[in-house]
Amino acid sequence: MQVFFQTIVGGLSIGAIYALVAMGFSLVYRTMGLVNFAHGNVVMIGAYVASTFYMTTQLPFAVSMVIAIVVTGLIGVVIEWVLRPLENRDFDLMLIGTIGFGIVLEALATIIWGATGRAVPSPVPAEPLNLLGIRVRTYNLVVLGIAAVAMILLMLFLQRTKRGSAMQAVAMDYEAATAVGIHVGRSNAIAFAIGAGLAALAGGLVGPLLYVSPAMGGTLGIKGFAAAILGGFGSIPGAIVGGLAIGLLDGFAAGQFQGYSEVVVFLVFTALIMIRPTGIFGERTVNRA
Amino acid sequence: MHSLRNPRRSAAVGVAAVLTLLFGACSAPGASEKAADTPADAAAVSGSDQAGSASPGSTDPIKIAVVDAQSGQLSSLGAWESKGAKLAVDEWNKAGGVNGRQIQLDVFDDQGDPTVGTNIAKKIASEGYIAMIGTSESAVTLAMAPVLAEEKIPNITSGQSPALAELKTSFLFLNGPTSVTYDESLAKHIVDEKGIKKIAMISNNGGYGKGEHDAFLAALSARGVTPVADQVVTMEQKDFSAALTKIREANPDLIFIGSEEVEAGLIVKQARDLGITVPFAGAAPQGTPVYIDTAGAKNVEGTIVSSPYLSNETSDASKKFAEAYKAAYNETAELHGAKAYDGTNIFLTAMKTSNGATGKALADAVRATKYNGLLGDFAFDESGVGIFATSIGVIKDGKLVAAS
Amino acid sequence: MRYRLVVLALAAVAAWVLPYGLSLYAIHVVDVAIVFAILAIGMGLVMGIAGQINLAQVAFFGVGAYMTAVLTTHVGMGFWTAAVLSVIGTAVVGLLVGTPALRMQSHYLGIVTLGLAVAFVSWATNSPLAGGASGISGIPAPTLFGLDLSSEYLFYYFELIVFACALAFGMFIVRMPLGRRMRAMRDDALAAGAVGAEVRSLRMAAFALASVYGGLAGVLYAGLIRYVAPETFSIANMFLLLAMVIIGGRHSLVGCVVGALGLSLLREALVDVSTYAQLAYGAVVALTVVFAPNGLAGLPGRVRSAWGRRRPDKAAVLGDFQPYEPASPDVVGGPDRDDWILDVRGVGKRFRGLIALQDVSFQVRAGEIRGIVGPNGSGKTTLFNVISGLYKPSSGQVIFAGKPATGRPPHQLAHAGMARTFQNLRLFHLMSVRENVLVGLDRSRIRSIWRYLLWPIGVFRDDREMHRAGDELLARFGLVDFAPAAPRSLPYGTQRRVEIARAMAGRPRLLLLDEPAAGLNGEEVRQLGEIVRSIRASGVTVIIIEHNMGLVMSMCERITVLASGSVIAEGTPAEVSRTPEVIEAYLGDAEVNDNFSAEDELPPATVLDATP
Repeated sequence: MQVFFQTIVGGLSIGAIYALVAMGFSLVYRTMGLVNFAHGNVVMIGAYVASTFYMTTQLPFAVSMVIAIVVTGLIGVVIEWVLRPLENRDFDLMLIGTIGFGIVLEALATIIWGATGRAVPSPVPAEPLNLLGIRVRTYNLVVLGIAAVAMILLMLFLQRTKRGSAMQAVAMDYEAATAVGIHVGRSNAIAFAIGAGLAALAGGLVGPLLYVSPAMGGTLGIKGFAAAILGGFGSIPGAIVGGLAIGLLDGFAAGQFQGYSEVVVFLVFTALIMIRPTGIFGERTVNRA
Repeated sequence: MHSLRNPRRSAAVGVAAVLTLLFGACSAPGASEKAADTPADAAAVSGSDQAGSASPGSTDPIKIAVVDAQSGQLSSLGAWESKGAKLAVDEWNKAGGVNGRQIQLDVFDDQGDPTVGTNIAKKIASEGYIAMIGTSESAVTLAMAPVLAEEKIPNITSGQSPALAELKTSFLFLNGPTSVTYDESLAKHIVDEKGIKKIAMISNNGGYGKGEHDAFLAALSARGVTPVADQVVTMEQKDFSAALTKIREANPDLIFIGSEEVEAGLIVKQARDLGITVPFAGAAPQGTPVYIDTAGAKNVEGTIVSSPYLSNETSDASKKFAEAYKAAYNETAELHGAKAYDGTNIFLTAMKTSNGATGKALADAVRATKYNGLLGDFAFDESGVGIFATSIGVIKDGKLVAAS
Repeated sequence: MRYRLVVLALAAVAAWVLPYGLSLYAIHVVDVAIVFAILAIGMGLVMGIAGQINLAQVAFFGVGAYMTAVLTTHVGMGFWTAAVLSVIGTAVVGLLVGTPALRMQSHYLGIVTLGLAVAFVSWATNSPLAGGASGISGIPAPTLFGLDLSSEYLFYYFELIVFACALAFGMFIVRMPLGRRMRAMRDDALAAGAVGAEVRSLRMAAFALASVYGGLAGVLYAGLIRYVAPETFSIANMFLLLAMVIIGGRHSLVGCVVGALGLSLLREALVDVSTYAQLAYGAVVALTVVFAPNGLAGLPGRVRSAWGRRRPDKAAVLGDFQPYEPASPDVVGGPDRDDWILDVRGVGKRFRGLIALQDVSFQVRAGEIRGIVGPNGSGKTTLFNVISGLYKPSSGQVIFAGKPATGRPPHQLAHAGMARTFQNLRLFHLMSVRENVLVGLDRSRIRSIWRYLLWPIGVFRDDREMHRAGDELLARFGLVDFAPAAPRSLPYGTQRRVEIARAMAGRPRLLLLDEPAAGLNGEEVRQLGEIVRSIRASGVTVIIIEHNMGLVMSMCERITVLASGSVIAEGTPAEVSRTPEVIEAYLGDAEVNDNFSAEDELPPATVLDATP
């Protein structure tokens, strides 16, 4: 029984990270109709920037996070700017273009920070909580809390602000949005920047939990993307649910199938998506057929 | 109007033409004298050239290749290894080289990819390198081994997978002990000397982790000990809650880790968070600063390590090596550099004693070399393993020291 | 033609003498590059030709290589037996990996195939059968007719033959009907289904083809390197392969080969600065998709078109339509006859609570021209989508030519004699006008796919026959001058005519035209009327959705009026125009007369493609 609950706790903590990554995927998809395969690598850059400032300049963790968010936001703007000619034209090419950017970011990180990676000390040094033999790290609770807050803020932004609704209008009908005077380019750039900022948030938070290295973007990206799709691509609550679900799946598969856990995770994921391609919360954008 | 039809016909004709030509070509090298001479024998010719130039009178530099991942996840190993090898070569060159010939050391990047590894094997063969140092990735070494054996280029690898020793090519040598030795020493210390019998195991499914798992398990069963838990994780895994909780429930007195530095560090960190307080034990990676940093110094306190090179302080030789290393690279020396340093010295010694031999003769000379190095006394057996002992150390106050 | 033959002969001679100038190292690099080239052909077929995002190609490669390794070392089979079994086994795996493509497309398919590729590497790392992380060594060197292929020079010639056959076969498929249908499916899966392409089977065929090439490459890899390990089939190498195909040009197999050979050699040349090389190829991929979407293979075309722009070509002219032979009166029928070709019974369709159609019933007689009119958003196109099988109705049924049509996929209805055009033009835009028409003509089925391997000459003959019929059709529709042109380069009116020609290519009994006059000028509308009348005269029933009331009133025998998803009137033009409900519906809608796009909502192409 302890194993069961402890696996849940572990799965949820890693799931919270997947959820944050998935949220970035979903936001960009919902507002731009674009899949950003480089998102995982942007997460990695975020992790590096945040940990660099946190560890070498002794800035408080929160300040380092803000710097990381700004840096990755700029990266997001650059990617969006380069790929802009393809927007609303060729979905598959954009997908491949972002894969190209992912490769570039990974190589850049290797050149700047080296291939070895680094361990980041936890900013919340408190002892883990002990609940009837189930141990919960305080930092994990912080991460879960931040993921929840980020989700709520993002949903408020999309539903309650003019800018937010304008962004969704762009994804639903590009021409109509232009016609009613929405600056599509700017709207897309902002969406991409927020998405990238979310990546930095995920990356910065994941640093102390795991280990920061140029290769971390690959795994986080694939699992985060899978989480977004499982939750329902484009849905913000879906991203959270999908992320936690993939985290739990990861945890239990690791416990049950040991070395074969990755095989099981992706087979289960494939089966779930085959059964329900729109994910748990359904696809939240109008797909331009 | 016919633009679509005509090229098709031309393509068909052309393909037929290609095939005719090629079938001709295919039989040529076997049948006709000329064809057989040209491409296939080119290598043999260059090979004999090489042997000629290696005669004692020659003054050309001796070419040695270092092949390792210089990019990608494992590149830190590669960097350490090339530094250790270069240090040895520089010392020999300063002292006048091998029989008056200077040594040229070149570094190749295999990117951790076996295919690239075979490319490099062919490359160093055709460019006249007579020996190879590396790699630190067993899959790449295994891929390169047949090519190197065919080209008669001796190779000293820093891998420790028992699979390497099982290959039994006469051209592959290991510059350190295999996992079997590491874990035999470790089991001896833990079970025989300290009397710990309630042992849990956690290892990854990578080449290194699998080798460690099998070797340690074998060493345990030889002592009649069955692990109370045996968990396998993947190399990509980030959360070890399930495995560690199972281990916690088994309530062991010690946990064996068969995993590389970073993952082992993460495992220990998470284990401590889960309230596991017993010490860990493992092979060389568990004595490195990366492991200590990743897990946090407090968490790794008491880790028992089996390593042929516990620290730079163990002997005069290691102190001297560490000083030279520090002077050359402004970095603290560690195991992989030391292993490569030893391996390179063994090669150069063998070249010296064999009077500049290459190919099979050089391999035989290596096998015959008895060398007293940083890791201990090398004496190679048939499988290419030269060292069969490790020392036991313990991490105390964030530093690896010899166990009392 | 002579030029091409000379180039090909030169290439063959160059490939033949190449080893004589290469060192042992260089020939090894070339051997590896050829393996990647074969892999890239498969990738080009599935991604560039069939439009399926397949990020598991490297896993197919792995399955082929591992199967060869396991069968030769563990089972003790000979290399060639193992090779054949491996290619077959890989094809089976390819079909399995391809099944998600039946349910999803684009990025969904991308992540699923990528996940499966990760799963494969993970399996190989764990499985004792696959040797775990240290892989399988000691694969025996293949011998062929007594030749020991462990010599990399001989292996080169062997590879070269396999490669030449693989490339020739790939190009054969691309140019033959199968490849044409795949390309049509890539450009527009819905339209391809509507002209009779079996979209689902074609997707599976594409995956099977890709995996056969992957398996072939894997077998060659195992024979060449004689060692397999999981690292070779990593995601990093998948992305490298993707870069090869994108940079070379995914729509052209030769482009894919050039990309693969080029990038393999470049990677080897830059092996000492591999991180920078990675940086460079990632950047080149990102720039390629933006500035040269067709990669290197697209460059000659660009140069040519830039050149062509400078030299004024003789202007292509849209020829006159040559009327069809009128069919004998008993075939034609007319408003008085009683045989219904289409019977729509109480059809309803709702989308997530939104009611698009409600209890729609009407019958169309064989040989009639039926008009369907109604304000925007009244459900006309939804009705067409239900009739042509793109949508499954929520209630009611459709009887076509006496047989229930409800729930039958579009391609079956097309084969049964139904054809349609689309309101907002769905031409296969990367294919020429001639090819668009040829896809329409193509009635071959996926079950005869074996002929590509066993009886290619038959395929070739069929294709020639199709070309003959296609040329005839192009001439009838006055499109001869535009035959090689890309549809998007043509005036709008001409594109409309191409779409009608494509629909008529399948010799349908029922033709559904969705706003064929939209965007046409007066003269073009007149020609359209002439074409539609001639089509009807040849014995084809026509149903036409149209806003141009002049055209509808002058041409249709009967008109069905839809408003808010229900039929509000039906009758002759004169009867309908007197109905008060119709007048009201139209006056109420008078201010909105642009094309509001909510009406042509089709199933999202990415996910719910299960409908066809």
